[in-house]
Amino acid sequence: MSEERIFTVGELTRQIKGVLELGFPNQWVQGEISNCKHHTSGHLYFTLKDEQAQISAVMWRSRVAQLRFRPADGMKVIVRGNVTLYEPRGNYQIDCQSIQPLGKGDLQIAFEQLKERLQKEGLFDEARKRPLPAYPQRIGIVTSPTGAAVQDMISVLSRRFPSVELIIVPVKVQGAGAAEEIAGAIRLLNDEKMTDVMIVGRGGGSLEDLWAFNEEIVARAIVASKIPVVSAVGHEVDFSISDFAADLRAPTPSAAAELVVKDAREVVELIRNYCYTMTGAMNNAIDSYKQTIAHLTKSYSFNKPHDLLRQRSQHVDELHRRLEQGLQHRFAMIKQQTVSLNGRIRTLDPTLVLKRGYAIVRQGDRIVSSAAAAGPGPAVVQFHDGTVGAELTQRKRK
Amino acid sequence: MSKKETKPSFEQSLGKLEKIVDALEQGDVPLEESLKLYEEGIQLSKECMETLGKAEVRIKQLTKDLNGKLHLTDFEE
Repeated sequence: MSEERIFTVGELTRQIKGVLELGFPNQWVQGEISNCKHHTSGHLYFTLKDEQAQISAVMWRSRVAQLRFRPADGMKVIVRGNVTLYEPRGNYQIDCQSIQPLGKGDLQIAFEQLKERLQKEGLFDEARKRPLPAYPQRIGIVTSPTGAAVQDMISVLSRRFPSVELIIVPVKVQGAGAAEEIAGAIRLLNDEKMTDVMIVGRGGGSLEDLWAFNEEIVARAIVASKIPVVSAVGHEVDFSISDFAADLRAPTPSAAAELVVKDAREVVELIRNYCYTMTGAMNNAIDSYKQTIAHLTKSYSFNKPHDLLRQRSQHVDELHRRLEQGLQHRFAMIKQQTVSLNGRIRTLDPTLVLKRGYAIVRQGDRIVSSAAAAGPGPAVVQFHDGTVGAELTQRKRK
Repeated sequence: MSKKETKPSFEQSLGKLEKIVDALEQGDVPLEESLKLYEEGIQLSKECMETLGKAEVRIKQLTKDLNGKLHLTDFEE
């Protein structure tokens, strides 16, 4: 016994630590995360377990910052790290260099986690989404100036609605700093208030290539944009966080271009129809007025004055006729009177009496009309055909 | 009237045209007024057609240099 060495706890622990740390460097361990704690210090503590056993695990802050996803309880992962011993507690643990989700890639996990988080925050709410302007005059395009996507969009927009103006803000769409450039371009278009709508996107690529559009900074810039945003990332099958944050998701950049403008030919047709409708409506209105006028001119009340005029005129004619008749009557009467007077005056003519054998005896200027009036002396006897001198003598009385 | 009066946008013109078409179709506008509206409508449709008749998109490129200065230049395809 006396030959046996007595260790202090510290000495023994240090020896065990040496054996452990040298004996299990750089291990790959697969298990499920539990008791996951993101400490305020930034370090990550969790337990890795399977059906048989469990092991404490830690990841230091500097490495946690490089993780694209956020480890959580129940997640199956492969960690790589060294086994270390924490002397103050006598615990051994695995000091993780990296953590990879099992099955899904880390990007996929990161995508789902960010999506869920922003969704909970209400950033993807349908109520937030604004309609696109029907006829934008200026369209902002945030994309790579060299890719096929920008050419596709230019060609579609030129074909569909050539009177628009495009403002391209060239950005890096993949690699380090791409997300910051994209977010900056979205803010720039907003600051300058230059466009009515904007398309943010790029052509197809791997999930890694499209990653910038899954970054939180891009999603937040889209949400903050006062200009409606159309997100157009990759191919139809690719969904990105920017798609959810945007006012409208387009399956591809070309599709985005189709969505932001109408086909000018259709609009031309629409305006032609408008002109046709307006002219038709005007012609109808004029015809209807014409009809109304025709109807009115035929109406009794409209014709009443005319009628009255005719009546009056007839009355005047009547009076005229009566006047004429009256006058004629009067003339006839006067004529008759004249004739009758004439007849009467003729019966009174003394020569007619003389012809019947009577004679007028005159003495001087006096007509002797009775025996008593006759004196002796000369007289003139007038016959109807001349006069004879005579001498009145003896008077005999009856 | 200020000389800087901006030309109405295509959307505004088309919106006005739509209203005129509606009013004329309703047919409850007095004749003189509807004649005026009709004239205006035809004028608006001409302006819209002119805009639609433009042949080529204008493409500009907006960049910000290191000093934060903005540059709006023609886009080189």
